[in-house]
Amino acid sequence: MPNKNGHQHPISRMISEINAIFSEIGYTFAEGPEAELEYYNFDLLNVPKDHPSRDMQDTFWFKDKDVTEPTVLRTHTSPVQARYMKENKPPIRIIVPGKVFRNEATDATHEAQFYQLEGLCIDKEINLGHLKGVLEYFFSKFFSGRTEVRFRPSFFPFVEPGVEVDMKLLDGDSKLAGKWIEVMGAGMVHPNVLKAGGINPEEYSGFAFGMGIDRLGVMKYGVEDIRDYYSGDLRFVNQF
Amino acid sequence: MKVVHSWLGEYLGKSLPEKKDLEDLMNFHIFEVDGTEEVNGEVVTDLDVLPNRSSDCLCHRGVAREIATLLNVELEKDPLSEPVELKSINSIEVKIADPTACPRFTASLITGVTVKESPEWLQKRLVALGQRPINNIVDATNYVMYAVGQPLHAYDADLFPQVNGRWNFGVRFANEGEEISLLAEGTKTEDRTVYLNGSELLVVDNSTGTPVGLAGVKGGRFAGVHADTKNIIIEAANFHPTITRKTARRLGIVIDASKRFENALSPELPAFAQRDIVKLIIEIAGGSYEGTFDDYDIHQSAVVTKVKFAHVNRLLGLDLENDEIISYIKRTGAKIIESDTTSFVAEAPFERTDLNEEADYIEEVGRIHGLLEIDSIAPEKQRVKAINLKQYYGDVIRQVLIKLGYSEVITSSFQKKGNLQLKNALASDKSYLRDSLKKNITKVLDNNHPHIDLLGQTEVKVFEIGTVFLPGEKTVEEKTVLCIGSRLKGNGYSPKDDVVVETACNDVEKVLPVDLVWDKDKGVAELDLSALWESLPVPDSYQEVSKTHSVQYQTISQFPAIARDIALWVNENEEANQVIETLVKSAGDMCVRHTLFDTFTKEGRTSYAFRLVFQSNHRTLTDTEVNEIMESLYKVSAQLGWEVR
Repeated sequence: MPNKNGHQHPISRMISEINAIFSEIGYTFAEGPEAELEYYNFDLLNVPKDHPSRDMQDTFWFKDKDVTEPTVLRTHTSPVQARYMKENKPPIRIIVPGKVFRNEATDATHEAQFYQLEGLCIDKEINLGHLKGVLEYFFSKFFSGRTEVRFRPSFFPFVEPGVEVDMKLLDGDSKLAGKWIEVMGAGMVHPNVLKAGGINPEEYSGFAFGMGIDRLGVMKYGVEDIRDYYSGDLRFVNQF
Repeated sequence: MKVVHSWLGEYLGKSLPEKKDLEDLMNFHIFEVDGTEEVNGEVVTDLDVLPNRSSDCLCHRGVAREIATLLNVELEKDPLSEPVELKSINSIEVKIADPTACPRFTASLITGVTVKESPEWLQKRLVALGQRPINNIVDATNYVMYAVGQPLHAYDADLFPQVNGRWNFGVRFANEGEEISLLAEGTKTEDRTVYLNGSELLVVDNSTGTPVGLAGVKGGRFAGVHADTKNIIIEAANFHPTITRKTARRLGIVIDASKRFENALSPELPAFAQRDIVKLIIEIAGGSYEGTFDDYDIHQSAVVTKVKFAHVNRLLGLDLENDEIISYIKRTGAKIIESDTTSFVAEAPFERTDLNEEADYIEEVGRIHGLLEIDSIAPEKQRVKAINLKQYYGDVIRQVLIKLGYSEVITSSFQKKGNLQLKNALASDKSYLRDSLKKNITKVLDNNHPHIDLLGQTEVKVFEIGTVFLPGEKTVEEKTVLCIGSRLKGNGYSPKDDVVVETACNDVEKVLPVDLVWDKDKGVAELDLSALWESLPVPDSYQEVSKTHSVQYQTISQFPAIARDIALWVNENEEANQVIETLVKSAGDMCVRHTLFDTFTKEGRTSYAFRLVFQSNHRTLTDTEVNEIMESLYKVSAQLGWEVR
């Protein structure tokens, strides 16, 4: 019998695709630890202790005896923004695909672990129009069809203005075509975050975005229950 | 936050938009709308009020003000626009231990009220908001909170001790070990006694020091209003957001009042709330207003911010004139203190405690103008600064293993036992972090082997590339590891598995030109990749990724599958795929998988052996049913001159 090929997991497959799409426009694949210091996960991102904005993300904490500084399982890929800014000078263009964790009850659309895609661009004269352009470029490639993006007001402590991003596939026969779909949060990097990263907000501006890769798969492949990604079930994986 | 349209209309008058227009206005300029419904004869819209606007928009006046800003109209009635004069009173005294923790405390005395049901119009509005009406006094405190955003509390003045004709309130931090009995929460019927650690702020009866409530979080039963209450004291205070929040979180009490205080309410609000509640109570419960004690030592200072016009356009990607920007800022209620050709200085309205820096004002301009107006700027092609080796070699390893028939899995980072335990795990079997992938891969092999026929495989072969966690000296140590596993037999590990895995390890070694140290154990092999990256050659670019990946996922059936084999002699020139196509067509929808597992040719004839797997998405198939399908296949074969072996 000829040897049959195995199958790549849809998440890693999507990450490879995402990287291919973004590397064409100069976005470097950056990464950071999954066990992250509270300092990077929250403080440097303009999410102060005992502030209501922390409620937006339920957090897993490591025990004090195991760490010298308060450490969490990162609740988002955004701490890599802070780490990257400290180590690199603008212009900065990065994507950060990676595993993140939320301490919340699981169901078909929520998992305690999932994958997020972070994007960060810092340069001179960067504005919301650049964010819109990059996202339209990405979605058009990722969903293989012309895509339109629109913004609605939102709030995330590390960006201001903060926006909710909706996308619409303009053509094609996909189930998604012709409908506005809420896909992610984004915005212009908050001056406090730039300053914390050693970047002068008078000189530079930038945008950041974050979305669930699991959810991209729900849209792209029609995955119904995001817990299936992590079930280790080949009846799932081998469909991809 | 739910808002009742008729209530908004009280402030907006004719300017109140129709339902659909209101929803669009909200969605595209301020808050996401969760829906609009009719409750108890009132039209109610549920708004997702964001954390930065929870200080002023968790009430009807705030939302109405916002609508007025967006429509560029004035509020017909604005409870916060008229200065308030409250009659002073000598019979109430308040001692605030720390004015930073409690910048303001007001208490009004109303005598001779009649406690009864609230009038229908008021009950109707509370019910529309999902609240249960209690009595006119308590309902009035809630009503005014939903109107202007200031939480209030009512006491029975006759049950609150007086010393020399004076009521003595105090606000102080709790003593360690002190306890307080709190009113039953939500649907619970019993009061809750909580023990305090000293960080909580208390409202106390200062004559005895008895705690009467957790400041800003929850009231106690002390001096509660009851059916025969005649004289009441209404409290409206301002408490520090962080102190309120810490106490509320620690005790797990998140109610309307604490939610508002923890978002930094303006200390100007209590006076407005007192004016409105006194008027409302006299209207619906009678009585006479005796006066208000107001302790407001540290006044809210005006927040003044300088904004550069160029920064507004630079961040928003718009091309607004200075005048346009100024007009948007004015619409928020902010005052322009000065302006020149390059910048302006604005003073935030007192209730907008969120307007503190330039970016806050830029955001205001963007959303009032409309984010839909922003044009996209297409990105330019450019080279990446660096190739991520983990991603590059990760894909190289994936390709090697996939070619050998291995499928990639991603398993849980949590496990039941280990060395690194989380402080707050989700469940007892997920309380540690994995320090190796071997256990997970073994489990994946165990779990998948029963589906081997359905998968059309003769063995299970999987791998994972993932992060594992180890206790380090100072902090948690992370490693990226690769784990490969193979399973031939259904009853578990057999030594042959090691041979299969060995082949895979060898192929991985060919693409990673460094010494690899595998940790091999019963059909699984793990490799620490973290240490390798630095010693591997740095490529110029990523490998090509095929982008034509269109898969439509099919739900996995939860019902068992049944496998049957069929072997046939056919003419030598007949192709296997033609034969199986015919068989599958006759077998129908229940045949979900077919695999050719044996072929040989002898004396001008070819023998094909197929494994067919039957499964339904809706029910468990019976043997009899499958036998019938197989019988029909034998018949078809006979008609076509194929001999079933």
